[in-house]
Amino acid sequence: MKHRVGTAGWLIALALCGSGPALGATCSCAGTPLLTAIDTSAREKGQLFISYVTEDHRISDLVSGSRDVRDETGRDRESFSQVVSASYALTDRWAVSALVSHIEHRRTIRSSQLGETRTSGIGDSVILARYTPIVITPFNRHEWALGLGLRIPSADDDLADGFILSEDMQPSTGARGTILWTGYTYAFNQAATVVFNATANYTDNQSNDRQYAFGDEVSLFAGVGHNMGPRFSYSVGLRYRRTDADSRGKFDIPNTGGEWLDFVPAVQWSLTDRLDLGLSGRIPIARDLNGALQFTTSYSYGFSLSYGF
Amino acid sequence: MAPGFSGQAVNTGQSIRLQDYAGKVVFLDFWASWCPPCVASLPAYNQMRRDIGTDGFEVIAVNVDEHSEDGLAFLRRHPVDYPVLLDPAGDIGIPYQLRTLPRSFILDRSGRVVASYRSYSAGDEQMLKQEILRVMGSPE
Repeated sequence: MKHRVGTAGWLIALALCGSGPALGATCSCAGTPLLTAIDTSAREKGQLFISYVTEDHRISDLVSGSRDVRDETGRDRESFSQVVSASYALTDRWAVSALVSHIEHRRTIRSSQLGETRTSGIGDSVILARYTPIVITPFNRHEWALGLGLRIPSADDDLADGFILSEDMQPSTGARGTILWTGYTYAFNQAATVVFNATANYTDNQSNDRQYAFGDEVSLFAGVGHNMGPRFSYSVGLRYRRTDADSRGKFDIPNTGGEWLDFVPAVQWSLTDRLDLGLSGRIPIARDLNGALQFTTSYSYGFSLSYGF
Repeated sequence: MAPGFSGQAVNTGQSIRLQDYAGKVVFLDFWASWCPPCVASLPAYNQMRRDIGTDGFEVIAVNVDEHSEDGLAFLRRHPVDYPVLLDPAGDIGIPYQLRTLPRSFILDRSGRVVASYRSYSAGDEQMLKQEILRVMGSPE
């Protein structure tokens, strides 16, 4: 029974990785975030958690700056990710997490002759190390953690449909990225049934072998979680994300990058003492995107199963 | 060696010092009234103590409720035979590096921690009883 890890641990797992690498930044669609899927639940020495996470992004909003624009092209875009992740606590302070992904992209432009374009394949992998110098205990209400991670392109990024498809349609970014993050949690009561959590992430994206680099990214999250008994928890939060413009060589790619503010609700059920089921969503509140026009996320939702050993 | 502690048991009135239990196997259990599996474990551990007996064995519980009256109220509703100490400030719990509850330890006759447990589920006391009997039967 992981009571008292429940709310704090889950919310931290959800929120510490509040955004992901901008895999689809050419359309500023938030692409296929992987960092949200990584499981960082392992918090006591020897704990091991395995998770399966899916996330579906509908990318159909056309935006000019901060203004929604009517799409005359009939464009419809969806990205679907499946992620398997593992988190293991080496000590009560140090933990490592890793994930591998499978990504599917689908794009339809009804006004063109191209029809539907689909790609799928193994996406990037992520490895994270987390150090928690200050932990929540029955005698301490504060927790602070630091993390360092590496995103590794683990598959091909040159799928073609007559010609090599753009980077935002590839399952893998083809490029490494370095991830820094930190998180703070405060428990409002000794049982930690209500917690506040704030995180900050920075991702530095390198170029792929075609000199394409997704924009570097900053992500901030703040939320509150409530554990309503041994089986059910929920949380609500706000996530701010800013990405630089993508680039190829020395030149910025137009109509990429910007800022997003999303509302992030989530619920979790403990089906057994070891197995948890989670549902989460991301609902745009505001955005201000670079360039004249960009397609971006309309909404996204995810499903997760996590098992603790 | 397990970190030493002392205090007065709020239910039995005994003056408890861990070093006084040298020569006995001790099951040390940390719990709180807001922790559902802790609450479920207390009667199970009480029965386990009766089954094993107190010749060479004892259970010592430490309640870590920050508001001790919550732990006391629970004990009045669900009394146990073994000594329970109050530790709202963590003087006993912090040296044992508590992070989650329930948390329990088996200490051998020399006061060394030979096993630790992070959780409780119904029926765990059978496994614990077997382990305690094994430690009691082991030569020092």
